[in-house]
Amino acid sequence: MLTLAFKDFIRSSGVRAGLFFLLTAGVVSLLIGKQFLDRQRQQAAEITVYQKEEIRRNVKFHPDEMGLLLYYMPFALVNETNSLSGLAIGQRDVNPSVQRVTIRALEAQKYDAGLTNPANLLLGNLDFSFVLIYLFPLLIIAFTYNLVAEERENGTWKIVAVQSRHPFRLVLQLVAIRVFVMLGVLVALLALAAFMLGIPVNAAFGAFGLTSVLYLLFWFAVCFWITSLHRSSSFNAMALVMIWMGLLIVWPAAVNNSIENRYPVPEAMNTMVKQRKAYHEKWDMDKQVTMDRFYAHYPQFKTYGLPDESFSWLWYYAMQQMGDDESAEQSAALREKLLQREVTSRHIAWLVPTLHTQLYLNELAQSGLGNQLRFLDAVNGFHEKKRLSFYPKIFGKAPVRATNWAAIRVETFADPVPTRYAELFMPLVFFGLLFGGLGWIGLKQNVYRL
Amino acid sequence: MLQAINLTKRYIPGAIPALDNLNLTVSPGEIFCLLGQNGAGKTTTINLFLGFLKPTAGQALVSGLDVASHPLESKKSLAYLPETVMLYPNLTGLENLKFFASLAGFRHPPDALQDLLSQAGLQVDAHHRRVGQYSKGMRQKVGIAIALAKQAKALLLDEPTSGLDPKASNEFSDLLLRLSDRGTAILMATHDIFRAREVGTQIGIMRAGRLVETMSPQALTASELEAVYLQTMNSPH
Repeated sequence: MLTLAFKDFIRSSGVRAGLFFLLTAGVVSLLIGKQFLDRQRQQAAEITVYQKEEIRRNVKFHPDEMGLLLYYMPFALVNETNSLSGLAIGQRDVNPSVQRVTIRALEAQKYDAGLTNPANLLLGNLDFSFVLIYLFPLLIIAFTYNLVAEERENGTWKIVAVQSRHPFRLVLQLVAIRVFVMLGVLVALLALAAFMLGIPVNAAFGAFGLTSVLYLLFWFAVCFWITSLHRSSSFNAMALVMIWMGLLIVWPAAVNNSIENRYPVPEAMNTMVKQRKAYHEKWDMDKQVTMDRFYAHYPQFKTYGLPDESFSWLWYYAMQQMGDDESAEQSAALREKLLQREVTSRHIAWLVPTLHTQLYLNELAQSGLGNQLRFLDAVNGFHEKKRLSFYPKIFGKAPVRATNWAAIRVETFADPVPTRYAELFMPLVFFGLLFGGLGWIGLKQNVYRL
Repeated sequence: MLQAINLTKRYIPGAIPALDNLNLTVSPGEIFCLLGQNGAGKTTTINLFLGFLKPTAGQALVSGLDVASHPLESKKSLAYLPETVMLYPNLTGLENLKFFASLAGFRHPPDALQDLLSQAGLQVDAHHRRVGQYSKGMRQKVGIAIALAKQAKALLLDEPTSGLDPKASNEFSDLLLRLSDRGTAILMATHDIFRAREVGTQIGIMRAGRLVETMSPQALTASELEAVYLQTMNSPH
């Protein structure tokens, strides 16, 4: 009987067209993901060669002054690209994956990023997470809105109800067929993704796959609930499309708007202005003031004293340091607010499964705001390490050639993979069970009604 | 056996009943034809026997079981053929028959299913065609085959010959007679007084929810039956 019900479902030209469209969109999304990963991998490979060459040229052109050399010399920190980000690009195409910084004031350099394609900011990427989160539910709605309702409307259900010993079980089997087909498409696309994008089959990929499965089951539960209400197929279609719009467009936009208003970030501009002003005004101030503050920050360099020359690299880098020090408050506030945005989004997302899925898929793919904030923290640490490494050489006027420049390598930031699986799965399981349970009760009450 | 005992249905409490105190019995091998205008209560009667409606008062019994209190058990003895048989259009006639038979818990071998379709009058070359390409008459035949496959003790028919051509209607009458010969109790709601006279063992005329006349068709000619019917319809309440 299941085989025949499956045949009836799959032979429908509408069903086959829908599945073909979904598979095509899925494959296109994987190609886009592959292009993204190839670009990221190419950039990471090129930056190694590029940095080596840049260091060689800088050393060649500025062989006499360590301070001047390091004024120009950038060092690269690469935000390691998780291959899962090919499935959920998130913010990774907006935020730079390679941050090149000199040991001068950091704040202005941190946000000095270019955008590959500003149009993408408006449209978003057609990555796999888009196909999963937006398109899969549409097809689930198309496959389930008329379940039982249409059969009731055209009279088939009367014969079914008289013939069947277990009409309730039959409805569950009809739902199960649709679940099986959609999960089949999902598994096929994920298997293809693992092959095309070279994604290792590990815990993160497993969590990504399981989240996707739970997300589809959540949508099936919603559709099951609506179809159990014993309304017409047109009512079901309208209700489900409204839920789709609410959960995927209206709610996330409202949440985003609310968070942006609740946590405005004027510090983004203030930090840059403050840092520049703090640095530039030091040119007109007594050196003693600058050096006192610098030594208060780095007491280990006090022995270098107050420079006598009208210009010295010690004084220059102290002025640069003041730019960062005096804008530190704004910088910390900016980071805190971005973190608050992330944390608040996460909390609200517990109640909005679609938002939750998007956030956590990005988290698993290390392409979300959380990853970007941790990368910027790593840039801070990387920059500080470089300063502490080169300050003594600059202040002590070490010869440029005494340093083994060829040993300097591009460094990589590896974000730890999140393992909060309970937090990841819980909202989807909860809402899935809730709507599935409501559907179960509704169907039990209504399955014998015409 | 089908039995209605003081069967009453009001869709709205306090309103005029759609079915008022119906009493009838259809024994095995009998074909009871319910005649009446639209809204006379024929379909309500069928739906009460099918358990799709709950009676306001009285009982609908199928093989001695009260439908309202034993909905699933009573359906085991029932088959139903609506005015328009709507099947699964993407399945063939044979597949539809297999599907509906298995819903009822029957696992007939393919040959037996084909035989049932042929018994119902569906030409062999149509067995493997999708039902979406069938005419109404062909779908009715699959509906009959479904009823045959269930080996039901009672068959409920709601305007089954409506829209069928004369040849298909004749074949359908033959089928009903064969089923009644096998001992099936048949209750048929219809507008077709000539068909009712041809196949019915009893004819009941319904008006405004009441069974106002019951007669044996053998005692009347077709024109006499028509006269009785029109007279009943036109007489005051």
